[in-house]
Order: sequence, then structure tokens, then C-alpha cells
Amino acid sequence: MVAIGTTIRDASADIELIGVTKTYDAKNVVIPPLSVALRPGEFTVILGPSGCGKSTLLQMIAGLERVSGGKILICDREVQDLEPKHRGCAMVFQNYALYPHMTVAENMAYSLKVAGIPKAERNERVAGVAKMLGLSDLLARKPAQLSGGQRQRVAIGRAIIREPGVLLFDEPLSNLDAQLRHDMRVELADLHRRIGATSVFVTHDQVEAMTLADRILILNKGRVEQFDTPKAIYHHPASVFVAKFIGAPPMNILQVTGDGSVLRLPDGQAVANYSGKGSFQLGIRPEDISVNAGGSIKARIRYREDLGSHEILETEIGCQQLRIATPFGVEIDTTSVLSLTFPRGRLHLFDGETGRAIPEAFGTAATTQSMKEYQ
Amino acid sequence: MFSHRWLPLLLVAPLMLLVVLFFYIPVFQAFYWSFFLEQPFGGGSQFVGLENFKRVLSDPEFWMAGWRTIVFMLTASLLAVVVPLMLAIAADRRIALSFPARNILVWPKGVAGASIGVVFAFLFNPFVGLMAPFNTLFPGAWNPGIDGTDAFITLVAAHVWSGIPFNFVILLAGLRSIPHTLTQAAAIDGAGPWRRIFDVQLPLIMPQLFLTFVLEFTESITSVFALIDTITKGGPGGSTTLLVYKIYVDGFSGFDLSGASTQTAILMVFVLLLAACQFFYLGRRINYER
Repeated sequence: MVAIGTTIRDASADIELIGVTKTYDAKNVVIPPLSVALRPGEFTVILGPSGCGKSTLLQMIAGLERVSGGKILICDREVQDLEPKHRGCAMVFQNYALYPHMTVAENMAYSLKVAGIPKAERNERVAGVAKMLGLSDLLARKPAQLSGGQRQRVAIGRAIIREPGVLLFDEPLSNLDAQLRHDMRVELADLHRRIGATSVFVTHDQVEAMTLADRILILNKGRVEQFDTPKAIYHHPASVFVAKFIGAPPMNILQVTGDGSVLRLPDGQAVANYSGKGSFQLGIRPEDISVNAGGSIKARIRYREDLGSHEILETEIGCQQLRIATPFGVEIDTTSVLSLTFPRGRLHLFDGETGRAIPEAFGTAATTQSMKEYQ
Repeated sequence: MFSHRWLPLLLVAPLMLLVVLFFYIPVFQAFYWSFFLEQPFGGGSQFVGLENFKRVLSDPEFWMAGWRTIVFMLTASLLAVVVPLMLAIAADRRIALSFPARNILVWPKGVAGASIGVVFAFLFNPFVGLMAPFNTLFPGAWNPGIDGTDAFITLVAAHVWSGIPFNFVILLAGLRSIPHTLTQAAAIDGAGPWRRIFDVQLPLIMPQLFLTFVLEFTESITSVFALIDTITKGGPGGSTTLLVYKIYVDGFSGFDLSGASTQTAILMVFVLLLAACQFFYLGRRINYER
């Protein structure tokens, strides 16, 4: 066997969910019919607030929860009624779920032992994975003698040792402290590039989603809000929900009314030209707002947060909250009323009732420029 | 915590009184008497040194009773843990009715040993009990009144039944405390339900298994008295005379107070050694970390 640390395998599988539902009873619908297709080797992040059904979805793919309806296909094979062990998935759990009575080596080798792989080969593969994850010196220890980061590495090692076609992650980084979480994120991205398994990663942390994902699936109450690349989700949010969920601080959403030519705030200020009539929700990212003397939109500062690299200004505009991220090095007089400009290309318009985006409302949509400027 | 000096003492006094009166005084009395020759109806006593021990240890009846005690201890306590273990694993898997089951199964704990004995004497009666149909097919196949082995089996069955509630609750609590994700991880790793029992569940309830075994081993030696007294009276032909029953017969029917005291002392030291061995040799190997 070739050491897996160095090879790039082509064992990834594609996953397809067709009308998958999960209900506990008539009132308790966790996931209404949901259909998505994940490409082979793709790193998909399922992102959503707690209780949105993201973990349930993952467990249904793994076979730990039964589907109430619909089909799950892995490599064009229907697996929704199969036992977990017949699905070819490996999983990393939030609380690591290491076997406390087994050593690190035994933990990692357990799936191979159950599969009846001879001891010599088991040891060889454990050594290979341990080397890749920097666990070689810890093989004889019990999980209780490891730090959080080491335990998470063992959990990852246990998952990849079988060389699964599908790797599932259930909020694996949420028990780690901030620094470790960052390091593990980088390691996970690197690991994914090397082993190339189709990965599904559940999280409520948008930073993890933005940095790790090839595509992000945003779930809200079991429904898909948007399924797209991190860039597209950031620059073209499909709904108010997505707009508010992505970005730190999140996109500002202002209630506006259109009179056929301009959009006005409740206090009467005109913020943009638009031909539509009725109530809308106008979105603009804090970093896209420019503060300048010539601006026509007036906002009152309530307080400011200096984050070193930039400042966050908390302002009030027509009784609505508006956050502004000032670019680095720009000094702003915070004693007076601010004059603002909303660049037309950076505005997002959403339906007043459904919250769905109205595409191309202001001509050319926001470009990838703004993200670069921000950073 | 208590500002009053005598209040704590006053609060523990009733329990202390009971323990001293019915445990420590009799225990010391037994050890004391084992070195004296006591008169059956009271009155003077004579110091005889180790004569009582010499007499008891050279009595084949004592060794027979001791052997039966060990056989009973091993079979009855093993079954009294294994049967509740199987029930607990089943209850842990199907949690739909586990709440009423957990409550109903604990009720027998409240039944006195003597009452259990009466019930089982009836249940295993060769003419009207559970085995009666079996006896009509194979006449004379089951008769605890004549056959010593049958009588012994009856005792074991009654003891196991009375041990189910407590051990079931302890073991089920242990199983329920195993994190759900561990079971899920094992399922993903490819282990089926049977494999998971031996690879994940049993190793993780070792503290609970150890506790039930220790309690069973020590308890099976002493608590069997009520069952013997109500079901077999030590018969037939002394085949169910365990040490604890022999002590009673020797002391209260034979009025050999010194002999009974000596055997009590020996039995007590044996139980203490047994518990100590379990703690020192088994207890240390158990991993209580989760």
C-alpha cells in the first residue's frame, strides 16, 4: 500500500439528495422536501443557525437518522435504507466521540479491525495517518490524556484511515478555542486538497464556511436559501436571510418605500433611484458605505468600535440601525452628523415581503471588488 | 456549617445507635466468643484459645458448607449480574417503554427475602408449580424436596430474581450515560449492534459491572439465609446448607454458641478478604474516565 499522505486519490463520490424529507410528526417538519447535488471531490459547507436542520441532514446522509421520504444517492447508488457501514461515509463528530477505553492507535484502527483487515496492515495505515496528522508520538495514549486539538486530529485520523469516498464533518471545530480553530481550519483545507474525498461540513460559523467551502449550502428552517460559491453568496445574496447571515458585521438592511422614482427611508430621505413602487428592503454592506462631505444621506453616530485595522461606526438613520466599516487610516469626525454615499453598484434590493433578492435592480450588480477593498 | 456543638451528634445518634447495637456489638461479641467455650443457656464461660477454631476447621461438615457457599456465590452472583445486564441492554436499545419498565422492574427490590422464598417454594413445587407439567411428562424429573441439585437450582433462581431490580437499574444507568455519539461513531466505523455491545458498551460500563459484582459476591453469601430458611431449610440431606445457614442451625438449634461464633468470625473474615481482593486486583484496572 502506498502511504496516503503523499498520494492524491480519486476515490471521491458524488452525493445526490432527491426530495429528502424529515418529519417527526405532522406538525414537526424538520426538513421539507430538499434536493441538492454535490459534485465528486467537492467541499460543501452546510451553513445555518442552530435548529435549521443542518445536522439532521448530515446524519441522514451518514445513515444515523432515517429519512422520512425521498432518496439519497451516493455514486448513483440508493443508500437511504442502508446501514451506515454500507454507505462508505466516514464522520467527524463535534465532541470527537473517541472511544475512551482505547488508545489513539486503537481508536484509529477500529474501523479497519471491524472490517477484518490484518493487524500488520492496520499498523502500517495507522502509522501513515498518524504521520500525516502529527500524532506519531501519541499513539499509545488514551483520549483523556490528549488536548482538544489532538483529540480532534485523532477523530479526523479515524475518519480518513478508511480512505472513504465521503467525509462528513458535524461542527468539528466548535469545541476548540479561537486560535486552534483557525489552525485546524487551515489544516482541514490542506487535508481536503490532499485526499480529495467529497466532503460535507456542517457549521454555524460563517468564517469556516467562507474559507473552507467550494460551495455553501445555506439552510433556513430546513429549506435551501442559497447554494453557491462563497463569493457569489457574499456578493449576490439570494435573500435577506443570507445577506444578514454572511459578513461580519452583517449587511445592513433598511426598510424603504418606492414611489416610482426613488426609494425613501421612513423619515423621508431619498437613498437611491428605483422605478419600482411599494415596500422594499435595501441592503448595503458596512464596508461599501462611503463617508464623505458631499454625501446626501445623513446619519447620527451612536457609538464607535475601534478594531485596529478598521472602525465600526454604529449609526442611526431614520430610526433604523446602520453599521459602517471605515477603511483603514480614514479619520472621521464623530461628533457631528455623518454624510454618507451609498454607491449604486453596491446596493442590494430585496422584496419587502418575501425577502427574496430582486436581481439587477440597480443595473450592474456588485462586483468582487468590494471584498478586496475591505480586506 | 453547624454552629451548635451537639446538634450534628444528635442528628446521627439514631443511626449510630442502630449500627452499634445491631452490628458492631454482635460482631465483637462473635469474635470474643470464638475464643471462649460458652455455656448454652448463659452463665460462665471458659477461655480456650484457638480450640474452637481447631474444632471447626477439622469438621468436614464445615468444609462442605463452605464449598456449597462458594459454588452458590459464583453461580448465583454471576447470573444475578448477567441476567439484569441482558435486560438492561435490551431496555437501552428500545427506549419506547423503558420509563414504565424501569419503574416496574425496580419494585421487587421492596420484597423481603422471606417473601420471595415463599413464592419460589410455591413456583418450584413439583406438584403444582411451573415444573409440574414437566413432571407429568418425565415423572420424578424435578423434585427439590428429594433432589439436592434441584433444591440448589431453586435457591439460585430465587436469588437471581431478587437481584434483578437493583442490578438492572445500576447497569441501565451506566448504559444510558454512554454518549450517543460514541454509538454513532461505532456504527459509522462499521460495528453492528452485537459488536458494539462488546467493543463499546461493556468496556464503558465497567465501573457499574464492578460495583454490581462486588455487591453481589458479598451479598449472595449472607442474604441467602432468608431463602434457605423459607424454601429448603438446608435440605434435602444438607445439600443446601450453606455456611450462613449452618451457623444459624449450630447456634440456635444445636446451642453450640462458641462453634457458631467461630464460624461467623471465619465467614466474616472471608467476606472482607473477598471484597478487599476485588478492590485491589480488579478495581485498579477499571478506567473511570469518560
